[in-house]
Amino acid sequence: MKIEKKELIFGVVYLATKNKHLKKHEKEMNMCIRCAYCFEECPVIKETQWDTDGARGKIIMSYGLLAGELEPSQYIADKLFRCTFCRDCLDKCPSKVGILEIISSARADLVEAGYASDTHKHVINNIKNTGNIYGDTEVISQEREGKTPLFIGCQYLGRPNKTKKYIKILEKLGINPVIENEICCGYPMEVLGFREDFEKHKENFQKSFPYKDAITLCPTCTVFLREGYDIDAKHVLQVILEKLPKADLGTKVTYHDPCDFSRGLKIIDEPRKILEKLGVEIVEMKNSKENSRCCGGGGGILMTDQDLSGNIARKRIEEAIETGVDILVTSCPTCEQVLKKAAQEISETEGKSISVRNIEDIIWQGLKKGAEDS
Amino acid sequence: MKIDVKKLKEIVGEDNVRDNIADLYVYSSDASVHSSKPDAIVRPGNVKEVQELLRYANKNKIPVIPRGAGSGMSGQTVPLSGGIILDMKRMDKIIEIRPEDVICKVEPGVINDELNMQLKPYGFFFPPTPASGKICTIGGMIGNNASGIRSVKYGATRDAVIGMKVVLANGDFVTLGSNTKVDSSGYQLAKLMVGSEGTLGIVVEATLLISPLPKFRAMGVANFATLEDAGKMISNVIAAGITPSMLELMDKVAITAVNNAQNLGLPDVDAIAVFECNGMVKEAVEYDMKRIKEICKRNNGTGIRVSDDPDEMTRIYEGRKKLFPSLSKYSEGLFTTALADDMAVPMSKIADTVHEIHEIAKRNNVVMSAYGHCGAGLIHTKILMDTNKKSQWQGAKRAVKEVYEYVQKVGGTTSGEHGIGFSKGPSFKQEKKDSLEMMRAIKKALDPNNILNPHKLMDSPDDWLTATHLRYQVKP
Repeated sequence: MKIEKKELIFGVVYLATKNKHLKKHEKEMNMCIRCAYCFEECPVIKETQWDTDGARGKIIMSYGLLAGELEPSQYIADKLFRCTFCRDCLDKCPSKVGILEIISSARADLVEAGYASDTHKHVINNIKNTGNIYGDTEVISQEREGKTPLFIGCQYLGRPNKTKKYIKILEKLGINPVIENEICCGYPMEVLGFREDFEKHKENFQKSFPYKDAITLCPTCTVFLREGYDIDAKHVLQVILEKLPKADLGTKVTYHDPCDFSRGLKIIDEPRKILEKLGVEIVEMKNSKENSRCCGGGGGILMTDQDLSGNIARKRIEEAIETGVDILVTSCPTCEQVLKKAAQEISETEGKSISVRNIEDIIWQGLKKGAEDS
Repeated sequence: MKIDVKKLKEIVGEDNVRDNIADLYVYSSDASVHSSKPDAIVRPGNVKEVQELLRYANKNKIPVIPRGAGSGMSGQTVPLSGGIILDMKRMDKIIEIRPEDVICKVEPGVINDELNMQLKPYGFFFPPTPASGKICTIGGMIGNNASGIRSVKYGATRDAVIGMKVVLANGDFVTLGSNTKVDSSGYQLAKLMVGSEGTLGIVVEATLLISPLPKFRAMGVANFATLEDAGKMISNVIAAGITPSMLELMDKVAITAVNNAQNLGLPDVDAIAVFECNGMVKEAVEYDMKRIKEICKRNNGTGIRVSDDPDEMTRIYEGRKKLFPSLSKYSEGLFTTALADDMAVPMSKIADTVHEIHEIAKRNNVVMSAYGHCGAGLIHTKILMDTNKKSQWQGAKRAVKEVYEYVQKVGGTTSGEHGIGFSKGPSFKQEKKDSLEMMRAIKKALDPNNILNPHKLMDSPDDWLTATHLRYQVKP
């Protein structure tokens, strides 16, 4: 068989750069003593019961790739992309191994070895071509002059009514946000393993959003602006809490903590205090706050493994229904999306229902009620 | 013999068999230093499937290795000569809870803490409390005769197992033991299965004794400037007739590691003792705690603190439970290896043994921590070393040998609760040399084709270091 020159060059370059991202984690991977404590609440292994799907399994596979005991394959890539990045394993790991950084690096090596999924490639190309995950040039932020930089993020850009509501809330509370013609923060590139693309994207992002502090709407963007760009990002709920007047909505809800809030930013009290201020009683789920369970929407699995994502979401909805309340409130658009779908499925199949709402609806309702009452 | 994967899929279904190299690689190791790939992983869902699998394996002389969470530290679930890993996690039903008989019946894949959560509304709990309780399975606990933090009061898994259903190597199904706490008839075969590391049969159901949840609990901590003082305190407490529900020791290495990993701010002393008393009468718990405090003082304990605040107790308890994995944070560049990981010695020898462990570590240029359920005479150690250096592995090998030689010299035993696997095989065989043939005869009677977890216990390799591939890049 004749090897083409192009193939040969690719082969040499590939071997020289193979596992370049995982290489920096060798020590970290040796720190994993494979105790399996990360199994405890991992939503993926709880669903599949295969060791390969848990955080330990992913660390072992990453180690195998680095040690040359495993060769990259589509099967391994599929396994390593089966993670919601819910951060529970980070909390449970007593050796404090940087599990998610290792998984991200393994994903990056696999992508560079040619194992990116078409769906993920499509999303990344969308960001490269249009600046947002949708690949839609119509999805743009409505520039607005003001005082305080506001970063909207793709999830809210794709939901303009929600964004408008948040802007109205901020205005009502005396905050004058400045909105730029922003582009995606690049988190999907990092989490899906497209690191080379992210390095190129970083500069464009910084040009489009040249601030050192900002208010943010999406929990994940908040984490990423802090970690990826060193921007002092403050989530909008933290800002709202400081200025929100009291109201008496007199409702009872349960609250789902998005993983990037509960375990990432430790924003646990703020949404609860907001709801309390609005006269909303919270009935906590069995697993809440730091121990909140994942909705199944993170880490990219929503794009590639909807069955798994749906199964995880349904478990969370069942937990919410157990509280006996009619409304589940959350503060992340992705959580809202997957939980709404799961709630609808459960309603259709089991006849049990719960309505899923995002917190900005409740805040807006509270502000209106407060104004009427006064 | 090549495994017929199609046949396995016929028995348990397509979704419950894996033979991809990535799965085999993941299932090739546990929390030990060892690694060796199986040929397939199979997840049976009921007794019939287990029977069929064993009939197939026995006929074709294929090794079968049962596995729970795979958190064993000595290589118990690592298949030396390939074969089928029987992942038992699908068999996870709590069959019945009978508070009136003080028993429950469970399948082997039930997780220890999940069982306790289900028992709680009845006012009961399953007493063995391994640190890995949140993830370990009852089957794994039976295989290793796990005990844990509360063994000083409640004993080990063997004390709590009174009956079981087992599938033998040839696929036959047997019921062993009874539903009663006392059972004097014949050989105690259910008890024999406990600690057999899956070498005699596949446990498919266990009848367990449960205990009423104590109404009151208090926990205490005392610091000791010397290990000797801490050791004396522990044996004085037991000799005084007090039955604490927990009596733990942590040495300096363990204290540093826990502080580094969990930021607990523990004091810089040679040893810390952690103790707990529980019971149904508050005054009785307080009285026992007062007596332990006095014994601590008499043995030069300082910073003695007693609390019945649930948050404070949880903090201490969780800190202790995460000790083993926290050891990886002891020092940059040193990694935890589960070697010489447990032993039991007579109570009076605890301080001497811990002291000797530190001397052995120094001699062999490795770091060793010592901690454990010392109220039950049980000591855990781990070897911290640069796992990429061949010389460190040789040092570790010498250290393991010397530790167990010392343990046997003072009348102790090789494993208190973690089992033998490969890592402790040589010392186990040395210690039990008079009964090895008896064990082999039992094994042969029950498993003539030697398919059930072969190369373990009395048949483990003579050199653990070369027994399997190590799960580290270095090739010693």
